[in-house]
Amino acid sequence: MTSLLAQIDSLGRFVTKNVEYTIRVLLMVYLSLRATVLDKAQGFRQIVGVISAQIYFTGWQALPLISVLALGVGAVMILQSLSNLSLLGGTQMIGNFLIVMILREAGPLMVALVVIARSGTAVASEVGNMRANREIEALESMGINPMSFIVFPRVVGGIISVLALAFYFNLIALIGGFLVTRFMQDMPMAFYTDSLMKAVAKEDALIFLLKNGFSGMIIFVVSCYQGLSVKRSPHEVPQVTTQAVVNSIIFVVVFNLIVSALFYLNQLRSLGVV
Amino acid sequence: MKIESLKFEGVSFTHDGQDPIVQNVDFDFPMNEILWVKAEEGAGKSSLLQILAGLQIPQSGKYLINGENVVEMSFEEFLPYRLEIGYSFDYGGLINNRSLHDNLMLPLLYHKVVSPEEAKLRVDAMFKEFGVEKFAHERPAHVPGRVRKLACLMRSLVMRPQMLLLDDPSVGLGQDSIYSFVDHIHRFRKDGYFKHIFVSSYDEKFMNHFDYQIIHLDEGQLYYQAVDPEKRVVHL
Repeated sequence: MTSLLAQIDSLGRFVTKNVEYTIRVLLMVYLSLRATVLDKAQGFRQIVGVISAQIYFTGWQALPLISVLALGVGAVMILQSLSNLSLLGGTQMIGNFLIVMILREAGPLMVALVVIARSGTAVASEVGNMRANREIEALESMGINPMSFIVFPRVVGGIISVLALAFYFNLIALIGGFLVTRFMQDMPMAFYTDSLMKAVAKEDALIFLLKNGFSGMIIFVVSCYQGLSVKRSPHEVPQVTTQAVVNSIIFVVVFNLIVSALFYLNQLRSLGVV
Repeated sequence: MKIESLKFEGVSFTHDGQDPIVQNVDFDFPMNEILWVKAEEGAGKSSLLQILAGLQIPQSGKYLINGENVVEMSFEEFLPYRLEIGYSFDYGGLINNRSLHDNLMLPLLYHKVVSPEEAKLRVDAMFKEFGVEKFAHERPAHVPGRVRKLACLMRSLVMRPQMLLLDDPSVGLGQDSIYSFVDHIHRFRKDGYFKHIFVSSYDEKFMNHFDYQIIHLDEGQLYYQAVDPEKRVVHL
């Protein structure tokens, strides 16, 4: 009996802790938006400067890694799906299969994981070090709101970068992957592209924007939040960086799962299955 | 925004799990003075200065500037006062990814206090006055500690505020830098800037460059001690 109560108690603590954390992170999104709207001093040029730096570090510098990943994932998926679909006699379904696997599922997750590993850690440790070195307090003392000066441009730059990287990932995985595997399969390019075009639906654009846009927001908001949670000492910086990675992965995976589940439930509903 | 009065009404402030810094304090701060904040080591002088700068919010009570309660103000509402308060940290505080020159330019350009040309002239003149112009375009990590400390002090002066909060300003400075700093303060006070100065320090030699009054922070309470400059014993 005691053990059951203890388990319920620990479950309650876990849920409460996570709900509280989510509320705090969402509150930071609101505060950074509010600060940016109300900040009369911060000029458009200043914000654009930080946003473009963030796009350079998060988006541009990640292109080589994303290219290798996209080519690998695309090629593997094409080869695997072709070998299995040929056995079943459904080669014309290649487009549908790849759109579902790459554009809707693997793309958003792979890009989010790369961005978390490269930029989420960088932002969390940068902001954490700023906190430990009292730079955040210094900004406040100069009348510069860290929410509009530090958080907002990083989040916006992060969202734009993740969307652009995801578009690039899909393009390289679907087209580059096909070209890489050309010497192993004899499918005509026109047949392949036609199958892809037929498979793409307008819901895919919605899923693309939802999954990648929100992943970008989640990664950079969580990383900034963790960085700002450093109290005083530099020894906290690696701890908050690790926490930023763990929390970003959990939030991104759960969010992707929810979007996929809702989308497929909606599809089943429209088919009259549920 | 002119700062005319500073007052604590029942102010209490504690860091998590520590003894209170101030506890239910009612205090009317003397204005147009150089106030030497004295206390035991670790009693909370820095925290007191941070409360006065609006960087720490008391857990209870009212901190009134010109009769307005800072505790209830948003960042934007407090901004006009904040621009009239210069704060210098005891350590750290410089933006590490900017040069010392850009650190000083930042508040001037961000709040468009003066034109970019005028801001550059003002900052260049300060670097020259303090004799550290050769480090102006270096980042904080690439300059000696003395220059970092001096840059932090200079940044608190660059906006020419009415109120200055200086946390251990003389620690790590050379004698020449101290003379330049003291001279700068005296010169600009004559012109109507830096009217209300709060200095937290253990350095009596440094404080003897000023006509100061004393505020003691003792066991969570503030006490004012008037000092007659004529009768003051100066140890140099």
